[in-house]
Amino acid sequence: MKLYEFQGKEIFKKYGIPVQSGFLIHAKDNGKDLTPPLVLKSQVLVGGRGKAGGIKIWDGSTDASKIINDLFALTIQGEKVKAILALEKVDILREIYLSITFNRGKSTPVLIVGTSGGMDIEESARLNKEKIYFVEIDPFLGILEYQIRFVAKKLNIDNYLEFKNIIRAVYKIFKEYDATLVEINPLAITPGGFVAIDAKVNLDDQSRFRHEELFNKLREEKEFIQDKKEAHASKPKEDTITYVSLSGDIGVISDGAGTGLFTLDLINEYGGKVANFCEMGGITNSEVMLKSLKMVASDQSVKSILVVLIGGFNRMDDMAEGILKFKKELNKDIPIFIRMCGTKEEIGKELMKKANIPVYDSLNIAVKKAVKKAMEN
Amino acid sequence: MSILINKNTKVLVLGITGKSGRLQTEIMKRYGTNIVAGVTPGKGGKEVEGVPVYDFVKEAVNNHEIDVAISFVPPPYAKDSCIEVTENSIKFLVLTTEQIPEHDVVQIIKYAENKGARILGPGSAGLISPGKCKLGVHPPNMYKEGHIGVVSKSGALSYEVGKTLTENGIGQSTVVAIGGGPFWGLTQLNIIKLFQEDDDTKMIVLLGEIGGTMEEETAKFIKKEVDKPVISLIVGSSAPKGKSLGHAGAIIEGDLGTAKSKINALREAGAYIAKNHMDIVEQIRKIEGK
Repeated sequence: MKLYEFQGKEIFKKYGIPVQSGFLIHAKDNGKDLTPPLVLKSQVLVGGRGKAGGIKIWDGSTDASKIINDLFALTIQGEKVKAILALEKVDILREIYLSITFNRGKSTPVLIVGTSGGMDIEESARLNKEKIYFVEIDPFLGILEYQIRFVAKKLNIDNYLEFKNIIRAVYKIFKEYDATLVEINPLAITPGGFVAIDAKVNLDDQSRFRHEELFNKLREEKEFIQDKKEAHASKPKEDTITYVSLSGDIGVISDGAGTGLFTLDLINEYGGKVANFCEMGGITNSEVMLKSLKMVASDQSVKSILVVLIGGFNRMDDMAEGILKFKKELNKDIPIFIRMCGTKEEIGKELMKKANIPVYDSLNIAVKKAVKKAMEN
Repeated sequence: MSILINKNTKVLVLGITGKSGRLQTEIMKRYGTNIVAGVTPGKGGKEVEGVPVYDFVKEAVNNHEIDVAISFVPPPYAKDSCIEVTENSIKFLVLTTEQIPEHDVVQIIKYAENKGARILGPGSAGLISPGKCKLGVHPPNMYKEGHIGVVSKSGALSYEVGKTLTENGIGQSTVVAIGGGPFWGLTQLNIIKLFQEDDDTKMIVLLGEIGGTMEEETAKFIKKEVDKPVISLIVGSSAPKGKSLGHAGAIIEGDLGTAKSKINALREAGAYIAKNHMDIVEQIRKIEGK
């Protein structure tokens, strides 16, 4: 779960990381008493907000409501602005980049600092515009003093004690919230000390079972400012289904990500176009099969459905049951092509045979048939 | 020979009383895997498929000789269980569990590393050395004994390719699924190194997919250290950018993790890049014919 800046900053405050004082403006609010100067920041979850014009400074010389209305009219990378964070303006002497995340290649937490923060950390890292340092953290030992001293030296930090406390706090948040990313970009050095100008906190949905209350609270805050549709998308998943909508006419369901990807490549090779793709996860059941078929079939552009099953964990008797339920409930005639093999395949195939549903053993043949059918229709 | 397991391997099953643990124990046993004990907290004293169940790993280790373990433990308890295994000097663990919190995964991997233990996974379908031992969920009928070593991120893709090879009369030494990421204990590189050292493996099939940079790193190793023929299939060329299609690791972010980058790196390392699963068969036949 990605958090909004205002949510991240609430957490920062609790852990003693200095942030600007400020308040949230909702689209529903009208005419708050504002005192200049203020930094007005659109609250969106996508990146590139600054470049898209989502951050404005109000110095009092113009009408604040005009700026606010302009911001609320913005859509940044498909995301509508529904809330604005109004913050006191601070004088910035220098900006640095600071984050803790996971180094995926090495399966370890990593502290990343950069000599100049700002909007384009990825780009400037690529172009070598600034120096970036990576410090791997032992997940049992946590971040060590000498590691902080190292980055403080590299960044030419004067106020070491304050800097150390911020890094310790960032790591503490990273651990205690089961975060996958805690990022301050930029961390400003001001005449009054450090200030976290931005806050990006991503939480691990897989850790939900130990943060039930926290996740619910954060989600409620998000839903308060979001569209119904977006709020729905951020709801916790009750199953392992991954659904991706594309632009062709073949619906694809697989019970493994690798074979799913491979099937998409094969369809492409045979000249077919995929309308949508549903990956059920390796451990699934008849209800998930039924739900996946319904999701795929609900897309009006789907002319044929290809179900690719190769069960290890996944049981073919369960899958057959789901397919039969779907056939019973379905009121339109979409041809379904099923490749079924693996765990309990004898029972699964027998069930399909009894219901007169053809099952293929070869992936190639099933893919070819589904592509051909979609082209005919 | 085979890698990591053989026909004498003695196996401990964690989470043996759960739905998956029970069914997979039954299938593994029928295949001939020597399962000597199981563990599920609170179920000590019971039996599953004739296998004694203990409350603690320590009790199982005290009563049986154990070489390896396989875990079917649900995500909330996975870390605890993995550390208990490593702590009891079991040097190889197959971790099938998916959806483990990332903070737990990095601790599981680090702890094993500190203790000199190997972890295959998380989210691994396990491995099979046809005719010898099956430690995982690979459907038995899709494999036959032979000399091709297969390593895959995806479990299902390793079944698919195993099935294709077997149907075409080509046997395998060991077929290994390392998991869909984004974190891994044993990597493609680790497995390929074992295949290179294994006398029984004549050729290596590497099944990779989009996302991350593991294939690129594996390619560097192949170039330097591997003289056995490597045939690779990289899936996900037609996947949309920025979207994960199931495996958390299989996502193209920016220029990173594209099929093209992986294919180029592997080709440069001397690997043959197969167009699809059938092409793998053709290439193996070509090399065998030489």
